Amino acid sequence: MASEEVARDVLQRTFVKGGRYRQAVIVLAAVFLLGVVGFILKLGQDRTQWGYYAATFSYLFTVAQTAPVVSVAMRLAKNHWRRPLARASELFAVVGLFNLLLFIPLLILLPSIEGRNTIWILGVWPSRFYTPHIFDTLMLVGLVVLGLLFLWTAAVPDFAAARDQRGGQGRYAFLAMGWQGTVRQWRVQRALLGLLGGLYFMDVLTTHFLIASDFSMGLVPGWVDSIYPAFHAITGLQAAVAVTIVTMFLLRTVGGYREYLPMESFWGLSKILLALSLMWFYFWWSAFITFWYGRMPVEQNIVQLIMFGPYRPFFVTAFLFCCIFAIGLLIWNPLRKSPAALAAIATMILVGGFFDRMRLYVSSWSLATTTDHTLTTVPAAIWPQVPDLLVIAGGLAGAVLVYLLATRIVPVMSIWEMKELRLYQVPRQLVRRRMLSLGKPD
Amino acid sequence: MQDRRTLTDIQVNETLTNTVLKTPLLWYVIVAFMGGIVLLGVLAVGLLVNLGQGLNGYNRPVMWAFFLTNMVFWIGISHAGVMLSAILRLAQAEFRRPATRAAEVLTVFALATAGLMPIVHLGRLWRAYWVFPYDFSRGIWPDIRSQAVWDPHAISTYLIGSSLFIFVALIPDLAVLRDRTTGIVHSIYTLLALGWRGTVRQWRLQAIAGIILSALLLPVFVSVHSIVSWDFSMLIGVPSWHTTIFAPYFVIGAVHSGVAGVITVMILMRWLFGWHDYIRREHIDSLGRLLFVVALAWFFFFMLEFMFGLYHQEGTEMVVRELWLFHAPWNAIFVIFILTAFIIPVPLWLFRSVRRSFPLMFFTTILVNIGMWLERFLLIIPGLMRKQPFTFSWGEYAPSVFEIIIITATFALVATMILLFARAFPLIPLGDAKEARVLRDEIRIGRRTVQAVLREE
Amino acid sequence: MTTVRSGWDHKWSMVVDIDRCTGCQACVVACQAENNVPINTEDIFKQSRAIEWIRIERYWEGEFPDVKARYLPAMCQHCGNAPCEPVCPVYATYHNNEGLNVQVYNRCIGTRFCANNCPFEMRFFNWWQPVWPESLRNQLNPDVTVRNRGIMEKCTFCVQRIRRAERKAIQEERDVKDGEFAPACVQACPTGTLVFGNSNDPESRVAQLMKPDHPRRYRLLEHLGTEPNVVYLKKVDPYLEEAQNGSH
Repeated sequence: MASEEVARDVLQRTFVKGGRYRQAVIVLAAVFLLGVVGFILKLGQDRTQWGYYAATFSYLFTVAQTAPVVSVAMRLAKNHWRRPLARASELFAVVGLFNLLLFIPLLILLPSIEGRNTIWILGVWPSRFYTPHIFDTLMLVGLVVLGLLFLWTAAVPDFAAARDQRGGQGRYAFLAMGWQGTVRQWRVQRALLGLLGGLYFMDVLTTHFLIASDFSMGLVPGWVDSIYPAFHAITGLQAAVAVTIVTMFLLRTVGGYREYLPMESFWGLSKILLALSLMWFYFWWSAFITFWYGRMPVEQNIVQLIMFGPYRPFFVTAFLFCCIFAIGLLIWNPLRKSPAALAAIATMILVGGFFDRMRLYVSSWSLATTTDHTLTTVPAAIWPQVPDLLVIAGGLAGAVLVYLLATRIVPVMSIWEMKELRLYQVPRQLVRRRMLSLGKPD
Repeated sequence: MQDRRTLTDIQVNETLTNTVLKTPLLWYVIVAFMGGIVLLGVLAVGLLVNLGQGLNGYNRPVMWAFFLTNMVFWIGISHAGVMLSAILRLAQAEFRRPATRAAEVLTVFALATAGLMPIVHLGRLWRAYWVFPYDFSRGIWPDIRSQAVWDPHAISTYLIGSSLFIFVALIPDLAVLRDRTTGIVHSIYTLLALGWRGTVRQWRLQAIAGIILSALLLPVFVSVHSIVSWDFSMLIGVPSWHTTIFAPYFVIGAVHSGVAGVITVMILMRWLFGWHDYIRREHIDSLGRLLFVVALAWFFFFMLEFMFGLYHQEGTEMVVRELWLFHAPWNAIFVIFILTAFIIPVPLWLFRSVRRSFPLMFFTTILVNIGMWLERFLLIIPGLMRKQPFTFSWGEYAPSVFEIIIITATFALVATMILLFARAFPLIPLGDAKEARVLRDEIRIGRRTVQAVLREE
Repeated sequence: MTTVRSGWDHKWSMVVDIDRCTGCQACVVACQAENNVPINTEDIFKQSRAIEWIRIERYWEGEFPDVKARYLPAMCQHCGNAPCEPVCPVYATYHNNEGLNVQVYNRCIGTRFCANNCPFEMRFFNWWQPVWPESLRNQLNPDVTVRNRGIMEKCTFCVQRIRRAERKAIQEERDVKDGEFAPACVQACPTGTLVFGNSNDPESRVAQLMKPDHPRRYRLLEHLGTEPNVVYLKKVDPYLEEAQNGSH
């Protein structure tokens, strides 16, 4: 497909949405409203009952707000198969806005840090109303803003294409910010992408650190686990790659982008997914073996609380889906070469990821007192009630809805990157074999 | 911007085998000097065996010190080999080509040296073999719960795996040497080359073997240093060690220190053997970029470890961090460590001109390894000095001259072994260098010419 | 020849009543004499390498002129969940069925792993070859091994005395009586700080003092979960009570 046709084709898919799109939006909106109902039902419940809500927020943060990192990291690696999936992963930054909304009740519910272990070692500073609530909020808001800026910067050339197609006026003229495609503008855009991407990556890791420490570990007395923020981040990266794969698959089959998304993109991401699934095991095992071997009573109780005790079904599901089955299936080349199989495995990982968040957040929120010195008893499991299930469904549906609505404004396939790809790829012949010459940009 | 000359196959062969067939005089001088230091180290170990571990600086409670620090350091350096060879091979990154064999060789010799360290610090090192599960007459097996049993097995596995890796990749080069030597040396190379003729089938098997070995070695690489880290983190006697992050923290620190070590070795090779056409600016540029990302990841883990040391805000973990920050000489060592391991080199690597400069990369990578050695030191010894709240049992530590000699001798040992290896085998894979030329291409986009690489469709 | 009869259910434990300890160090000397502990010279102390299977830890409290010395007799706690045991690569230390943490000298290769994992700092390494002057060699206890350099050692609750008492009891076809024998430190203590016996025997003095509801009872570093077999009884401090009462 020639370069000019790329712009026309993608823009047409962006602005003209079919019946299935409308149906999906309606269904998702309905489920989201059910979620709101569930939320209202939960108002007035004790903090210990809000674990499932916290798990949903954390899950959406883990999956959606970490997803742009896939684009950032692949951009750093300078490979070409990232181009079709770049925008799809960057677009997840808009779900961050939805997640900010979900964050507000958690801020209200979070108890003060006085009397318990916390990463805020300077204590309540400047006042008990600020630590850690305002710092966590600033970090999360900063992350959302950075993500949106990153998305905008990456999409500016495509907004310019849309503006030109519509005769140079309208909201795309504003979004395109006067883009003409001069050499200087391209250079500035590249530098900005590098800077914003790097900042976003660092911010995501820091936010994982804050969310994991303040909203989960800090609520359990005696839980000191230095790898937990890193585990939280790695599971986030794994979920980010998985959701990118699922999105790519849906774009390929339902979205009509089949010829933009060749097997190479899936193949490249599949290797990373395998590596991250192995790391899931590695990071979990590091925590488990250190706690288990030491035989300290408080650490044995922590292991019971978050792994093998009342939430064992959640943990076993997460472990099997995200780790054992994922690794066992992803090592087979034929499975990695098939987009459908890969999408199925990625969906399994996403489901497992949610169970993982549940076992971590429901368990940590279920403790009534956070100010003991150590964890002496492990409370019984809190199983989800109807309002909890509604909230979970509503949260997930809301996130998907926001993404879908965003695809009406921002093209989900990066036009300029696909055009660039056509410039960088030239078929060649080496002796008797057909090869592709891939340009290596500096 | 990639600066290369077009070279023929014969030129490639001649230049890269010059260490074997036309060894410079400087080589003999350096080997003699390093060998002398190694002999001094052997003498020191002999005295230790004869007179006792009392010659060293340890005491109660600091029962492990320089030797364990050195062991962790050398295992760290050894991680570069697998990182570069296996991962970059699987990712098909072009910039790995001159680095793979040097990295693998550094791995093997660093590992062998690291394996010597825990033996040297034993009370009865002549009985060290009791950690292996043989049972000839006693009915006693080693205790599989002990990290000191996992360590030697893991290190041996890694050593054997890496040696196999080097050997398999070496076969085509051994054939080149076979065809250029005579006499006894020729017979040895003939034996080692295993009948390599360069047929299509043999090359295909070679490529498959490389991929399988890379995939098999990757879990070994991660697990070896994790097992070494569990020497510390699974213990409860030392609270500042008992933290869950040690495994990935040690591994990423190892990659940091190892890749820096490989860059150092490559720049030395380029200077010593005149391989200016094979080790080019683009290689250290790309390796520098990799190092930058790894260093950031390392810093993230370091901050996690530090933060969670302070999490309890009470107890001996706080005292250890206090030692790092407020008490001389520990705070001086801490400042030197953080400056050399991160603050000086990493911002420099942001700049392309730094990454493409051989002297600057040499300087910064040496700084990194100084810092990483000090990091291991700061991790192990202050923790032991301030183990538990019983202040009556707190201790101090100062190294003895024997420890300093033996540590220096390990550096000399690794250098000597690499140089001896270079005397017999080429340190850059000839096949890789030639393959790079075959796969090289150029694309014209508008008025610009962009370098490209040929890939199968 | 084994001296542990099946059917016996001994758990050798010790109680240390801090209230009675005067810091006289008779226990340290007795232990050194009984167990052939190497001689600690002043140099060795300065090198922090002194071997004292039982030691009196001294802590100063308060400011001059109200300085008080507090003494803590510290010996191997013979932990039920001993952290030193799983880390030895060669099984040189293990837990026997009488509750003792046992060190096998001729199996030890000197990795010093066990010493690092002991939170109570109760394990000692022979840095040098122990040397006794000719005149002191007759003082060595023939029931106890003389250790080589490169080997770990620690308090054994005078296992040689335990074995001797058990052997005698077997010969006389009875169980070991409470108070029939004592480790060297317990025997030497002038104030009765140290109490030793079979805590599985509810009638023994040690079991009485080890009862969980004893008001002064505590164990060292309980939060680590090592289950020490040594119970400490807190010091009764009239000055502290006076200060507390006075401040109300």
